[in-house]
Amino acid sequence: MSTRARAVRWGVPAAAVLVVAGAIGAGPVIAAVQGEPQLPELTAEQLIGEVGAKWSGPGTLPPMSGTIVETASLGIPGLPAAPVGTSPLALLSGSHELKVWYGSADRFRLAIPGAMSEQNVIYNNGQAWWWDSAANTATKIKLPSEAPAPAPLPTAVTPPDAARQALAMAETDTAVSVGNDATVAGRAAYELVLAPKAAESLVRDVRLAIDGETLVPLRVQVFAKGAAEPAFEVGFDSITFAEPAAENFTFTPPPGAKVTEGELPALSRQRPQMPAGDVAVTGDGWTSVVTLPFDAAALKDNPILASARPVEGGRVITTKLVSALLTDDGRLLVGAVTPETLEKAAG
Amino acid sequence: MSAHERTAAPREKGPLVSSETSVRPGAHVPDAATPAGERPGGRAGSPGAGAGAVAAAGVPFAARPRRATARSALRLFRSEVGLVFRRPRTVAMLSVVAVVPVLCGVAIRVFGGEGTALLTQVAGNGLALGFVAFSFMVPLILPLVVAVVAGDAVAGEAGLGTLRYLLTAPAGRARLLGVKFAGMAVFALVTCLIIMVAGLVTGLVLFPVGPVTLLSGTTVPLAEGLLRIGLIALYVTLGMIALGTLALAVSVFTDTSIGAVVTTVVLVLVSQILTVIPQLDAVSPYLLTSWFQRFDGALREPLATADMGQGVLAFAAYIAIFGSVAWARFTSRDITS
Repeated sequence: MSTRARAVRWGVPAAAVLVVAGAIGAGPVIAAVQGEPQLPELTAEQLIGEVGAKWSGPGTLPPMSGTIVETASLGIPGLPAAPVGTSPLALLSGSHELKVWYGSADRFRLAIPGAMSEQNVIYNNGQAWWWDSAANTATKIKLPSEAPAPAPLPTAVTPPDAARQALAMAETDTAVSVGNDATVAGRAAYELVLAPKAAESLVRDVRLAIDGETLVPLRVQVFAKGAAEPAFEVGFDSITFAEPAAENFTFTPPPGAKVTEGELPALSRQRPQMPAGDVAVTGDGWTSVVTLPFDAAALKDNPILASARPVEGGRVITTKLVSALLTDDGRLLVGAVTPETLEKAAG
Repeated sequence: MSAHERTAAPREKGPLVSSETSVRPGAHVPDAATPAGERPGGRAGSPGAGAGAVAAAGVPFAARPRRATARSALRLFRSEVGLVFRRPRTVAMLSVVAVVPVLCGVAIRVFGGEGTALLTQVAGNGLALGFVAFSFMVPLILPLVVAVVAGDAVAGEAGLGTLRYLLTAPAGRARLLGVKFAGMAVFALVTCLIIMVAGLVTGLVLFPVGPVTLLSGTTVPLAEGLLRIGLIALYVTLGMIALGTLALAVSVFTDTSIGAVVTTVVLVLVSQILTVIPQLDAVSPYLLTSWFQRFDGALREPLATADMGQGVLAFAAYIAIFGSVAWARFTSRDITS
């Protein structure tokens, strides 16, 4: 066979690779060709005003369903590489997926798919269920009487909640601006940039992507200083604004499952034991430092401690976003600030 | 492939055929080399089939009617499937594949389903054994079994020295490769069906059967549960065909079948390790093994069609790329063994 015929022949697999690469890369390329989405210009004040007006009260999200992806690379030393389960600790590293079906404030479902397992929170008109397929348990969640809907996950997990928290922090110590419009889950979104003014903060900025049409917060990113990739990100990977099927909100414990009544197991089981004693907060806003009494012996065998750096009067653990100082006199100082600030605060 | 190539190739290989006198049993020998139509040892091929092939071989390819070539391809395919399924090692592998769900069911029956919820469910509903069987087999046993058959497909013939005889058949290299691919695909399908049936039958015999509880906690009727198991079997089959195509591509590059098999299995293991490392999350969507496990999407409510659809696309991409690599190599290389 001639060299030319051979080359032509090998062109077929090369073309196949190109087609596949094209199919994979088509999304970003199309987005790049289309350029930034064009949304009406808004100043930071107008944007906050609109968002605040819409979400200040018990906000009414439009019915929707979608997939939320949470990615954290906080750089916490010694955290198990692949934390199992859905403990809050597991959310601190790696990437996690959450499916959401939202009908209204009294009808929603969250699902955490795992390998051959799934965990669900189903809330329907005052009835809340937690279903864990791996443990085969259905838990009827006791709801506090004053708050109708439970906070099914750490509060910063759903984008609207996280946005609300971040907006609450936007005060005098924050430089607020509107960044370039972003595309999140295929939708054009405003990007609100909140940057701490204090130099000792480890946070460069927090970016909120807010859907241009519905003003639903679609993504929150936290960038550490000197990092190109966000240290923490939670946002919609796909979203559809349509009423989800009613079956999503009905739950009957399947036969054979253990049915119990109680608190959300994922949260109660893993709730860290707060040490008794005085908890003090010094500083404010982005640079607040929490001081609490702490017995280092409790962490004796923890791998996190092994990575601590000894400094004068204690040991320092640094991550991308948070520093912690364990003083020799039994205090723990934590804050999103440089270790030096902690040492100063420790006195 | 050009018509010239197709007619010229057998003639070039002609002298080689006569120089080789010993033929090992169990290997492919084309009908043209054995005019009686009987495979050595009478293992494969239907009697009388060879005569037609010889007559056809005498006629220039271009003049041969399409029906005859289709028939010869079909004959080649039938002989390939017969060859694959009559090998003692295939029978042994299929037996192992069938025994695992049975053992699993018996163990749960005897010792109870303590442990994960999936096993607990089996005790209450035999149908769940079908799911359990797949979740046990998909990570390693199934890829291994498919790799053995697909990795051997071309390299095995080359290693035995029978590949050049096969190429004297008036089938053409592309068609021969197609037949090898089809044989591998049939094997993958049969293996998955065996797992499914073994799991279901064991479940039916040992445990009560009723509505099925899905991972999402929803209970669906028996018929829908069966449909979902069938969907899993099809999805896993497609995944295994994708892996088999990769193994076939490796097989075309080597003359030692064990090399192709080991390469494929090592690739499966390495990519499984890569999927576990969270720092390499960005790589995992491109790995075949990370899509195998997504068959559990069939057990969610609503059906995780987006996930499984992406898996099917990934499998199709693998089949297209490695299938064309195998084709390019096989049709352009010099076959000397």
